[in-house]
Amino acid sequence: MISPKLVEVGRHINIELMTCSEVESVEGESGNFEVTLVNHPRYIDLAKCTGCGECALHCPVTAVDSFNMGLDDRKATYIDYAQAVPLAFTIDTDTCIGCGKCETKCMAQAIRFDDKERKTTLNVGSIILSPGSQGFDPSGLEYLGYGKYANVITSLEFERILSASGPYSGHLMRPLDRREPAKIAWFQCIGSRDLSEGANKYCSSVCCMYAIKESVIAKEHAGSDLDCAIFYMDMRTPGKDFEKYYNDARDKHGIRFIKSRVHTIDPVPGTGDLEVRYVTDGGEMNSEIFNLVVLSVGLQTSPDVIRLANRLGIELTRGNFCKTETFEPVATSKQGIFVCGAFQGPKDIPQSVVDSSAAAAAAGEILSTARNTLTRSKEIVPEINVINERPRIGVFVCRCGINIAGVVDVPSVTEYAATLPYVDFATENLYTCSQDTQEIITQIIKEKNLNRVVVASCTPKTHEALFQETLINAGLNKYLFEMCNIRNQDSWVHKNNPELATEKAKDLVRMSVTRVALMEPLKEAELEVNQTTMVLGGGISGMAAARSLARQGYETHIIEKSDRLGGQALNLFQTPEGEDIREKVSLYIDDINNNEKIHVHLNTTITRVDGFVGNFESELYSKNEKQILKHGVAVLATGASELKPVEYNYGKDPRIITNLDLDKKFIQKDPMLKNLTSAVFIQCVGSREPQRPYCSRVCCAHSIQSALELKRRHPDLNVFILYRDIRTYGEHEYLYQKARKTGIIFIKFSLDNKPEVTLQEDQLRVGVRDHILNRPLEISADLVILASAIVPNGDEKLANFFKVPTNNDGFFVEKHAKLGPSEFATDGVFLCGLAHYPKPIDESIAQGLAAASRAVTLLSRKNIFMSGTVAMTDPAYCSSCGVCISICPYSAPSFIPDDDRFFPGRAQINPVLCKGCGLCVASCRSGAIHLKGFDNDQIFAQIFSVNEVI
Amino acid sequence: MSHWEPKIVSFLCNWCSYGAADLAGVSRMEYPPNIRVIRIPCTGRMSAKFILAAFRQGADGVWVSG
Amino acid sequence: MGIEPGRLHFSWISSAESTKFVDVVNDVTAGVKALGPNKTFLKTEAKVA
Ligand SMILES: Cc1cc2nc3c(=O)[nH]c(=O)nc-3n(C[C@H](O)[C@H](O)[C@H](O)COP(=O)(O)OP(=O)(O)OC[C@H]3O[C@@H](n4cnc5c(N)ncnc54)[C@H](O)[C@@H]3O)c2cc1C
Ligand code: SF4
Ligand code: SF4
Repeated sequence: MISPKLVEVGRHINIELMTCSEVESVEGESGNFEVTLVNHPRYIDLAKCTGCGECALHCPVTAVDSFNMGLDDRKATYIDYAQAVPLAFTIDTDTCIGCGKCETKCMAQAIRFDDKERKTTLNVGSIILSPGSQGFDPSGLEYLGYGKYANVITSLEFERILSASGPYSGHLMRPLDRREPAKIAWFQCIGSRDLSEGANKYCSSVCCMYAIKESVIAKEHAGSDLDCAIFYMDMRTPGKDFEKYYNDARDKHGIRFIKSRVHTIDPVPGTGDLEVRYVTDGGEMNSEIFNLVVLSVGLQTSPDVIRLANRLGIELTRGNFCKTETFEPVATSKQGIFVCGAFQGPKDIPQSVVDSSAAAAAAGEILSTARNTLTRSKEIVPEINVINERPRIGVFVCRCGINIAGVVDVPSVTEYAATLPYVDFATENLYTCSQDTQEIITQIIKEKNLNRVVVASCTPKTHEALFQETLINAGLNKYLFEMCNIRNQDSWVHKNNPELATEKAKDLVRMSVTRVALMEPLKEAELEVNQTTMVLGGGISGMAAARSLARQGYETHIIEKSDRLGGQALNLFQTPEGEDIREKVSLYIDDINNNEKIHVHLNTTITRVDGFVGNFESELYSKNEKQILKHGVAVLATGASELKPVEYNYGKDPRIITNLDLDKKFIQKDPMLKNLTSAVFIQCVGSREPQRPYCSRVCCAHSIQSALELKRRHPDLNVFILYRDIRTYGEHEYLYQKARKTGIIFIKFSLDNKPEVTLQEDQLRVGVRDHILNRPLEISADLVILASAIVPNGDEKLANFFKVPTNNDGFFVEKHAKLGPSEFATDGVFLCGLAHYPKPIDESIAQGLAAASRAVTLLSRKNIFMSGTVAMTDPAYCSSCGVCISICPYSAPSFIPDDDRFFPGRAQINPVLCKGCGLCVASCRSGAIHLKGFDNDQIFAQIFSVNEVI
Repeated sequence: MSHWEPKIVSFLCNWCSYGAADLAGVSRMEYPPNIRVIRIPCTGRMSAKFILAAFRQGADGVWVSG
Repeated sequence: MGIEPGRLHFSWISSAESTKFVDVVNDVTAGVKALGPNKTFLKTEAKVA
């Protein structure tokens, strides 16, 4: 799934990848750093290696595969995994015996035994640290028997076992005897939330979710008979859509969740099985036998990274993560150095991706004056007009070293290609993708006056763009090209059948040639991007986005419905560090008001939106006045609010309040807080219920913090927290530990046995069934605080204006949970903060920055080119049925306005919005829609040439 | 006809099955060499006409995969 | 229309499921092989040629 990102980074002309390199030192200051790097030798020339794997095939050494967690072996020349970028091998000097076999076998002559360690210095304006974390090593925790019993493995090892490219090719087996397990146990919190020596006290945030995922996938692989049990302390699934996944795992997949910390594992002699002994929630001793035990190990910062942080003079937290402030979530203690990912705190992929965009925005703010001064851009070669010319096709057949030529008879395929209609030229290359071949191809195109090109080699997914660029350099439109996959889908998979593989290659080449003959040059719609931005919602995330956009030089308008900036944050009392939130927010607001590029529209809403990416027109409405704002991008930061509870007698007595009510009392120094003897918090009010199945993420830490504040003021006060799971993820766990130490009493309840709040003659009572004692408890209280759910503000109208989706819970749906968490599938529209999902202030600000960062990638291009493979209507054939309009997921088709001179009422397609999926083409009953590049003719041509009918 | 090998026209979605086919190659799996892949932008692009055309053209099988 | 159902296959495979891809190719090929060459619905010109 991450492979497109890898390729994008690898190919980007303004990203220089320096692999096998380490930062030695950093001198200078923000805006002007000098970084010294140590470049370790790779022994293989990156520029020449094609990643063919010939060297590894001939390497006589067998080494342990560390990528597969030592469950497998590999050679001394190796590549971690098949989609690696750069796709180039490395020689591992620890195991290499220096035989030199690879040097003789490498046709690309990439082996460099004399490669040496070098040093380079870089001059940069800002630095982003993303060194990540490492898995906790459980060998030190003796009672688990890790390292002693082969069938006790870590979750990372289990991931590799499940992987199709893993040591057992995705077959679920246990390491000891490679037998399929029938019962698997997961142990949570290994090395996390553990006060003992050598372990970490914080919660690692990701392991509950990955354990559920692993168990569900294991069941998918092995069938529903597989018994999966997860032993946990609290199930922590506070992320977007996570709670639903957890519920489904339990209810639909039958995963067993057992609340218990296991204390003894004993091997069952002669079987490789393990006997697990634990105390149940009700206090009974229990024992069960499992075939495989998976340890859900936590995350921690590696010693190397700690040393790096020390060298750079960066402050760390108690848990050795990079220290950041709530209101500057990606800034380290050193100016100009930013942080993202799991080094900022233990976190999952979606959160890491948000952070990384945020760090890019923060780094970009410093660099904005220098933007586009050092970037490289491509030279533009004028395009040759080929319309109405007879096709003159050039075919380049790649040998790919011996990757293709070892199976397919390349000379005979080339010879055959030359005989095909319209083929003017055919040749073979050793490596068609190498840099020098690109130049040769360009020359041949010019010399032979070719106007169509077919490359028969690997896959278009990785190489199409490269060859298209070669075409552009030769002056040909990049759509006059076709790639024919004779490696991944031929030579590699039909090794033992060279004859039929050659046959297949010929068929494929013929199909491609017929297709390319019909290709027409396509124009890519060019679009100017309006450089003004609009941020909808003036809460903390909207302000963060606006401030970053303005600092990067863009005119920004904040549209706020209420009469002030600040949003929900103004209702909050303190951060976990004890900072006054309102004070910090007002500083932020001052910053916004003092920035000339930011225009704040209070008491304003929008009533209409026209246009599309780059050219939006929104109608602003305030005090009966209307105004049109033209903008290139929009950020939706409309936030969320606290649910008004409908249970626990809320509203019937002033002593039954919500978390925000309590914060208000703290802020206003309410005298009612003076004479208290007992306070009860009730968690998950309105959250994690059938009608609102998500977790509101912030309320556990919020309640604990408020409880601690009450306890600080009145040490004798009895404070109870009634909870279902305590979800103080990451370093919020310290708060929980502190609360327990302070004497706050935690009582667990379950959804089918919720507490009851009753009012008897002015006396407030809370009844709850104690889980451990298994008997009812009654607490008399002076104050009952309900941790009420967070519900989104976003309304349907707004979603319709921008054509963006909302989920069942009313939160906006991002483009992709991991690859696009701060943007919509609709181009030019971004999102952040509570409107996306409940989250604390630091995460809201990070996402605000992330949305700004994503928006800048669009704005900074000034002009955007849309893909040429888009659908187009032929209005003369259109019957105005409207099927295309209703079927298109991107709202590209529309009717031509009735007052238009040509074809009023017929359908037209906006090439800017079209993604070229072809859905409308297939749906159109009148045959009025064509998909450029994948038109009927072109597909039929391929079909017709499957068999030789000459 | 003892050496008859069928030809199966395969329409693979660029984003899904085509990727799986590439990965199968990267993992050096083996499968019978009878399929002839036509890359389409999305299965939404498929039309019954293509399937019929393939059979008319003498394909022994047609496989559409999203 | 005279085309045996076994000649036409549909499937859904995600880009990570190479194993499934291979399984399906095997199934489809085996299915079609069992049916023998396609004799119906051919374009008439094809026979002439
Ligand atoms: C009950 C509760 C408890 C919380 N507890 C904590 C905590 O303990 N610690 C912590 O760190 N965080 C906590 N948070 C989260 C914190 O408040 C948020 O992370 C942060 O304030 C979110 O900011 P935002 O900009 O995303 O949304 P908001 O602050 O909700 O701002 C959205 C803004 O958009 C405006 N708006 C809405 N619709 C429109 C429209 N159509 N047009 C124009 N303007 C519009 C609204 O008026 C509002 O000003 C809590 C939140 C809630 C609700
Ligand atoms: S509670 Fe935290 S540390 Fe424990 S398993 Fe769950 S996510 Fe990991
Ligand atoms: S109280 Fe809030 S954060 Fe804690 S589990 Fe319930 S919904 Fe989630």
